[in-house]
Amino acid sequence: MSALSVARIDLRRLAVRPFAWTLAGIALAMMAWQFLLGVSAFMHAQPTVPGPAVGPGFIDAVVAPYLLNYIQLCLVIAPLVTMQALAGERGAQRLALLTASGATATQIVLGKYLACLVFLWLLLIVVATMPLVLGGATHPDWGQFGAALVAGALCVAALTAIGIACSAFTPEPALAAAAALLIGEALSLIDAGVRLTGGDTGWLGWLALHTHLAPAMRGLMRSEDIVYFMIIVALALALAIRRIDGERGRD
Amino acid sequence: MAATPALLELVSVGRRLAGRAVLHDVSFSLRRNDVLGLLGVNGAGKSTTLAIIGGVLQPDTGRVCIDGKNVDDDGHTMRDRIGWVPESVSLWPELTVAEALDACGRLRGLARGARKTAIERELARLDLTGIAQRLCGQLSLGQKRRVGLAQALLHDPDLLVLDEPGNGLDPVQAAQLRELIGKLSPRRGIVLSSHDLAEVEAMCHRVVILHDGRVHHDGALDGRRGQLDAQFRAIAAQPASAAA
Repeated sequence: MSALSVARIDLRRLAVRPFAWTLAGIALAMMAWQFLLGVSAFMHAQPTVPGPAVGPGFIDAVVAPYLLNYIQLCLVIAPLVTMQALAGERGAQRLALLTASGATATQIVLGKYLACLVFLWLLLIVVATMPLVLGGATHPDWGQFGAALVAGALCVAALTAIGIACSAFTPEPALAAAAALLIGEALSLIDAGVRLTGGDTGWLGWLALHTHLAPAMRGLMRSEDIVYFMIIVALALALAIRRIDGERGRD
Repeated sequence: MAATPALLELVSVGRRLAGRAVLHDVSFSLRRNDVLGLLGVNGAGKSTTLAIIGGVLQPDTGRVCIDGKNVDDDGHTMRDRIGWVPESVSLWPELTVAEALDACGRLRGLARGARKTAIERELARLDLTGIAQRLCGQLSLGQKRRVGLAQALLHDPDLLVLDEPGNGLDPVQAAQLRELIGKLSPRRGIVLSSHDLAEVEAMCHRVVILHDGRVHHDGALDGRRGQLDAQFRAIAAQPASAAA
């Protein structure tokens, strides 16, 4: 018995569930449209007279904002994918069934997390394929693209972990989704006011997702940003494990 | 010569849920080949007792032993010897019966070959072969119960724990369930809960009556109908707080 067995069941369920396909279809259609708009704007901004390249390149002008848009979309998609993971299972006594099968709380939570993460990372790969297709026609900065992609993947991992934690703590899937959305938006907007007025964001700024995504979008992958996302993942999963373990344990 | 330990033994088990004590000092035992009926009105503590035996809940006090060994000492190995069927079992509705049983086999750590053999055995034993490719979400209540039983039997447990197995079944399905439990009881012990006297008298060798989380009666049944009637009514009539 391992977390992989739990993940395998959930991935199989996601693969046959119309909800997951619909969600993926809508998300990819939205991203494709945004990519086309980005490429179109980039083409119109090109100088008509040949000369040395100046101004932002393809990655700066098109890919980085496009990946940031996917992360914004994930603030909504991740709660929808994770809401059923534990909250929905509890109501149908399937969580108890997993426990009775010998699965520990850690294995259950990690398995559920892994399944949701694989789904959202697969979407990210498809999303990233669109700019890759144009890679041959332009001269992208592959290092910057890689950094942006890694930061995007880490941010999605953090949002998924938050969703799993909310699903562990609430009895209703809808409540879990609302809580995860609220936390994600809070992390996204926590320093928005200070940023708009141009002041020093301080520790509020350190908490904000934007602070840790912006350097990677410029091609700078800082260990501080990796640690930030890892802390969110570890904290959220530890809380979820503690909650699920507590359900079996003493009152 | 030392006496053979009981297959299952509960020793002074107590448990609180949501700040309320639902089990107090519950003790009983079960031998191999026996079917034990846990009888009680709604809220008596039957499901909590079975969830503790099934490893889904931990007792606050006391212990659960299988063949004399405390389940908490080696939970994983011990849980491999128990098959638990909850009251409203609902396997993953998006998966077919065969896929769901395969998933349960994986969770139990059965290897591919052993899993395939076990699934075929249980599909045949529980008359599920015809609906193996049907989605779990499209099954009737009786079929769901049988699939639930199949998942609990996949790893061939020594102890089978059934929470209200007869609930919602029509008379034909209830008769089939009685026949099935009769076939399953040799070689293993079965604990089942019910609030239906006739059902318990028809299926069980022994009965434990729970009321307000306490054991009020623990004795053998001799197959006669109506032997528990007066006793059960007298216990059930007691107000919950005065039942101690």
